Amino acid sequence: MINCLLIKVSHNSRGVLSRSYRTLSAEEITIGRGAECTIHLPDPRLAMHHAVIKRLDDGQLHLIRINGELESQGSIVQNVALSNGMQVMIGPYQLVVEPAPPDVNLSISLLLLHRLPDDFQDLKARTHEPLYGASAFKRRLSIAMAAIIALLFLALPLAQNLIPTLKATMAQLPLGFDRVWSPGHISNSHLHFGSQCFNCHETLTQKVADSACVKCHQDTAAHIANPALEKSVFKSTSLFSDGIRCAECHLEHKAPHPLARQDNAMCVKCHGNIKAADPKTNLSDVKDFDRSHPEFKLTFRTGPAVVDFERIPQSETERLIEQSGLKFPHSQHFGKVQGPDGLWDVRNLSCTTCHRPEGKEMRFAAVSFNRDCVECHKSELTVGPAKATITVPHGAEKNVINTLRLQAPKDFTTYTESLKTDGCAYCHEVAITKKGDELPWRITPLQINQDWFSKAIFNHASHQTQQCQSCHLVENSETSEDVAMPDRKSCLRCHSGNNPKPKRIASSCMSCHEFHSSHAAPKTTAKK
Amino acid sequence: MQHSNIFDYKKYRYFKWAVVVILIAFAGYLLFEPAVGHYGGSWLGYGLGTLSALMVLWMAWYGIRKRRYRSSGSTQGWLSAHIYLGTAMTVIVTLHSGFHFGINIHTLAYGLLLIVVVSGFFGNYAYMIYPRLMTENMGEDNLDGLLLRIAETDKLARQIALLMPDDINNAVARACRETYIGISLMEQLRGFRADCPSALAVQQLTVLGNNVVAEQRKLYRDLYSIMVRRESLVRRVRQDLMYRARLGFWLYFHVPFTVALLVAMLAHIVAVFLYW
Repeated sequence: MINCLLIKVSHNSRGVLSRSYRTLSAEEITIGRGAECTIHLPDPRLAMHHAVIKRLDDGQLHLIRINGELESQGSIVQNVALSNGMQVMIGPYQLVVEPAPPDVNLSISLLLLHRLPDDFQDLKARTHEPLYGASAFKRRLSIAMAAIIALLFLALPLAQNLIPTLKATMAQLPLGFDRVWSPGHISNSHLHFGSQCFNCHETLTQKVADSACVKCHQDTAAHIANPALEKSVFKSTSLFSDGIRCAECHLEHKAPHPLARQDNAMCVKCHGNIKAADPKTNLSDVKDFDRSHPEFKLTFRTGPAVVDFERIPQSETERLIEQSGLKFPHSQHFGKVQGPDGLWDVRNLSCTTCHRPEGKEMRFAAVSFNRDCVECHKSELTVGPAKATITVPHGAEKNVINTLRLQAPKDFTTYTESLKTDGCAYCHEVAITKKGDELPWRITPLQINQDWFSKAIFNHASHQTQQCQSCHLVENSETSEDVAMPDRKSCLRCHSGNNPKPKRIASSCMSCHEFHSSHAAPKTTAKK
Repeated sequence: MQHSNIFDYKKYRYFKWAVVVILIAFAGYLLFEPAVGHYGGSWLGYGLGTLSALMVLWMAWYGIRKRRYRSSGSTQGWLSAHIYLGTAMTVIVTLHSGFHFGINIHTLAYGLLLIVVVSGFFGNYAYMIYPRLMTENMGEDNLDGLLLRIAETDKLARQIALLMPDDINNAVARACRETYIGISLMEQLRGFRADCPSALAVQQLTVLGNNVVAEQRKLYRDLYSIMVRRESLVRRVRQDLMYRARLGFWLYFHVPFTVALLVAMLAHIVAVFLYW
């Protein structure tokens, strides 16, 4: 039997501690929130049967846990011997063993150390405001982002431009801080220096000046040979510009768009009304290859010098006669033709038998007698009877005459006469020389046109899907005076003007023409 | 007559404006194409860019305007214009860019603008649906009222649980003690907690109910119904926090990115005119 003095310590309404005494007498004293417990503590933090005080075999009183936890000196314990002054925590209650009066075995005091919090205030504290601290967060994020952007995209690029030492240092690196200002890809040809902006943008707030361009492009000549005309043509093109800068037309940061303008607008601006730009010109107005483009003019050589040529419009058909000095009917050199070796020697000739394409642009090598003609026309170079034929060399007349003088002095006159009327004259125009000339006659010098469309560029390679005869109608040509160059209408079968048409490809000015041949201007050519 | 809202303000006045602005910009874009393709530095590009910059400033001004009591025009009209013209501005800025993007300040400014506009769309969406859902959820209650009711059920549940076995008492005590609401941003936005102690307590009670002795069954039933009611109250509080969080969360992006956009736009304009 345990006689126990239970002292309940509590705070009164004024916050002063008050003690209430009670004695308990039982075999063992149970503590818990259960109503049947000897010490009933109605607190949800206690177990129904939390602990028990009983005398163990050693004769001492022990506090032993049942379903709750006991804490003594900061550690969880199963069982604690109740000696004087001992303090044990039973849930929120503090149990202290006090000196026992003589008539009891044990004196304990219980104090509710941790009161249950106020439910509402407690719950409110555990319920957070929606988006707590949002405005502070937004402010911090705003400042951080603004600062980073201002530093990286404004301050550093500006500093690089304004502080000469920093500029010099950055120039050594592959990229400058101002690289982030680049509005678009730099064209391939400028890429090797383009990542450093100052190479072109020499002065802040000023547009890229021509001086930046001519650092490399020193050889570029005037785009229009006549300086006065150039100035009047290139006068201000927009309100924002002085018009004549290179970068006005050659726009950088637009890759993969080419630097040189490919559009018609610039061309048509002057050539659409060419008299306005140059009143003295005899050029026609051109706006569009399909709708307004003059007939092609063919360039005819009139003499040996570079300037000896005449350009004749294709519409003047009666004047389109080539005086090449050769006699050559294309009609007899096309398709199945008789070979030199008898009736059964039938050869199939095509254009490329004689006209051989060369290079990636498919230009044509000059037709050569030794390569292209001699196989069939050997007999034209022989004179004399069948048993004693003399073969004269093809080439200079002097060699022919000397061969005959050497090999057939007796028949010299007969043979030269034969060559004059038949042998050489089979293909060539022959002219009688004046008296006193060392030769009795001479071959008229050949004048074969190499470039019929001298103002245009034409690439055979890009037309190789076509048949030659689609453009060059030579099958029925009986004489070498015929000119078999295609006219504008035949181009228009496949090409249209600035805009594509059904089954016709759009063709701009730059498809066939170069811009004022600026790279072949006298200044450039003179240096070469 | 139904009140007009921000969308049909003055018979869709600003919607019509936005459509007209977009149509004009598109017409210009289709008709005046520079030879090298569209880019920000063409005549049209400068025009669209200037218009966009002015519109960005005007949109940003709305943030200041709405905090002022004395200003011209109704705030509703300003918001209607803010939404419609802000959307139109996105189209104009895209045309201004000529669809050229790269790693540079220009594309950064564009990206920031898109973030601002898209977050604005979220805000729009939020204000379209959440206020109604909030009213449905809360009825005539307010947050403090609900918390007070939860506190009351706590007290009641604990009193009953005092008489119940330990495991039931623990479950109830734990639910009362550990119910945190809206503890993290993610939880506020999701509107629920996977390990909500209140829901857990109800589950535990369901299981523990099998062991309750006959004389405590009535007590148990009372406790159970209190805890179920408590759980639904907690859920409603969570929902309310979720709606209010979602209603404001888009501003985490809308406002700071607007500030960032203004700085980026300044850098963009400075860059363009320093390096002509």
